[in-house]
Amino acid sequence: MTIVARHVIKEFGSSHTRVLHDLDVTIADGEFVSISGRSGAGKSTLLYLLSTLDHPNHGEIIIDGETVRALSVRALHAFRCRHVGFIFQFHYLLPELTALENVLLAPRNVGLLEEKRPQAMALLEQFDIVGEKDKFPAQMSGGQQQRVAIARALIMNPRYIFADEPTGNLDTVNGMKVMQILQEVHRRDRTTIILVTHEPDYAAMASREIDLCDGRLVSDVRRGVS
Amino acid sequence: MFFLAMRQMVSRKKQTVLIFLGISFSAMIYVVIAGIQLGMRQYLAEQLLNNTAHIRISGREAFIVPEEIEPRVAGAGELMHWIVPPSGRRDIAKLENPQGWFDRLRHDPVVVDFAPRFSVDAILARGQSKWAVGFVGIEPERQVRVTSLEDYMREGSLLDLRGGGKKMIVGSGVLKQLGARLGEFVSVTLGDGDTYPFKIVGVLHLGSKELDERLVLGYLTDVQQINKTPGRISEISVALVDINQSKRLAAQWALYGSDKVESWEEANAAFMQIIIIQDVVRLVITISILLVAAFGIYNVLSIMINQKQKEIAILRSIGYAPARIMELFLWQGLTMGISGAIFGMLLGLGVNLLVGHIDLGFDIGKGRSLLISYAPSIYSTALLMSVMAAVVASFFPARHASKMTPLDIIRANL
Ligand SMILES: Nc1ncnc2c1ncn2[C@@H]1O[C@H](COP(=O)(O)OP(=O)(O)O)[C@@H](O)[C@H]1O
Ligand SMILES: [Mg+2]
Repeated sequence: MTIVARHVIKEFGSSHTRVLHDLDVTIADGEFVSISGRSGAGKSTLLYLLSTLDHPNHGEIIIDGETVRALSVRALHAFRCRHVGFIFQFHYLLPELTALENVLLAPRNVGLLEEKRPQAMALLEQFDIVGEKDKFPAQMSGGQQQRVAIARALIMNPRYIFADEPTGNLDTVNGMKVMQILQEVHRRDRTTIILVTHEPDYAAMASREIDLCDGRLVSDVRRGVS
Repeated sequence: MFFLAMRQMVSRKKQTVLIFLGISFSAMIYVVIAGIQLGMRQYLAEQLLNNTAHIRISGREAFIVPEEIEPRVAGAGELMHWIVPPSGRRDIAKLENPQGWFDRLRHDPVVVDFAPRFSVDAILARGQSKWAVGFVGIEPERQVRVTSLEDYMREGSLLDLRGGGKKMIVGSGVLKQLGARLGEFVSVTLGDGDTYPFKIVGVLHLGSKELDERLVLGYLTDVQQINKTPGRISEISVALVDINQSKRLAAQWALYGSDKVESWEEANAAFMQIIIIQDVVRLVITISILLVAAFGIYNVLSIMINQKQKEIAILRSIGYAPARIMELFLWQGLTMGISGAIFGMLLGLGVNLLVGHIDLGFDIGKGRSLLISYAPSIYSTALLMSVMAAVVASFFPARHASKMTPLDIIRANL
């Protein structure tokens, strides 16, 4: 169970501005990988490729032995629903739904609403926001909203979690809380986590650090045990 | 997706209510306009059918044509010049062979029944008052079966004329003009000097001033007798099993002889044209109202989809496929369409009930207010059109939303 990026090239626009230059990365099951680099280095671009949201111009992304580009729209969405959790810098909660309803969006999509309700409550409890379960996003603080978004990403017990600067919008206290949650999930469930961040402290909390500069891999360091 | 669709609608109460009212309003307008137009048409059609039946067979009015006379006066091929050309009607219209028609109609399986009539111009006199009327001789039993004249009797019954004996039924206006009362005798003259006393046994009120002031009914043989033309018939009203066959049958029967055979549509060509114009007017109004409502739905959904891009991206990344995103917006259009249509139909029904009870101060048929149609087809059409407008108007924004890729949206918002 791996994610493989093979000779991946990504270009944008009609001028074919190259953002990723012939990248080769293999991410093994159960790794906690941080991707760091300066702004504009191509971190987000790489993350979206690895997470099936985008496709490369050349080369291929292979997840669990299957080429992503070859998957049907249906299979792609089923895969995202069952096996992938996304956490973005902006939490993107649906403003019309309460915290609990936001967390249960993915289960609702596949008819597991009632089955997953106890787990959703447990997640909210774990993240210390169970008291906010019936509040709407507008009634919660930024940190609370981001924790709801993380609970939403975790509810289907995904094998992969993709996080694009999840702490970027938070103060240190809340940022640290989010990082601890990710570490805990990684340790407990052996979930593969790929985290984009430009904070060295947070990058150091991962078990493997990838450094990007101008679309090229400049360092790839594995720690023994995190 | 219905759940989320409802939530999104509730969170935009103002817009939702506005669209809802827009659709309600169009459905209501349609129901009211269609109700009044179709009600009016039904009434007019009924009136026409009363007076003309499905098919009317009448004597052809023959006129004197100078060219036909010339050969007899001057001899063939000779040029002739009239100082005053002869002109005028040859005789009052009458059927060539009424007995032949009776035999034919009696045995034709497409005919329900028929009623012969004989009409003459007459003058009624009561004391000093004189009043010119059309005196129509009928066979009451047959007349009752062929037309619904009996429904318009204010006093007495058509059947009171049975057996003859110089009885008559007069229009309500005639009664007023003569200042006469039910049960009184009024003298009738046809202009040849002889007068006959007739007893008023009934009053007819058709709701049309023209008719009510001119129509007098008598027993067929009575009228034939005072005109000294026994057996003469001026027209026959025919009721058919299938009213839609009237045009075809009329054309066929016209070949039997020289008499004029008209279907009720032909006899009322102008009326049929008005009906067509009404249909067009109703269609135009309906379409423009629907366009406005559909445009409202389209606009609001389009704006909303732009505002909701982030949410769409999130749903997609969570695994909601494009088809489900489309569902989300279709549900909203459909919900507003159906609920708006139902509410609008109820409003329209209410308005129709109100309008139907307003006293207009003049007679229309049996009452004094607009006749309104409550035909189920009006309501099903209103529902169908509103739902269709809602579906079409929400389809395009919904499809647009389903085609957005999550990444474009996320990048655009970085
Ligand atoms: N949709 C796009 N069109 C054009 N250029 C893009 C697009 N997305 C990203 N880029 C460019 O690619 C480079 C890398 O972007 P990104 O991966 O977002 O960087 P990072 O996340 O490391 O800050 C940047 O120079 C950015 O301007
Ligand atoms: Mg980025």
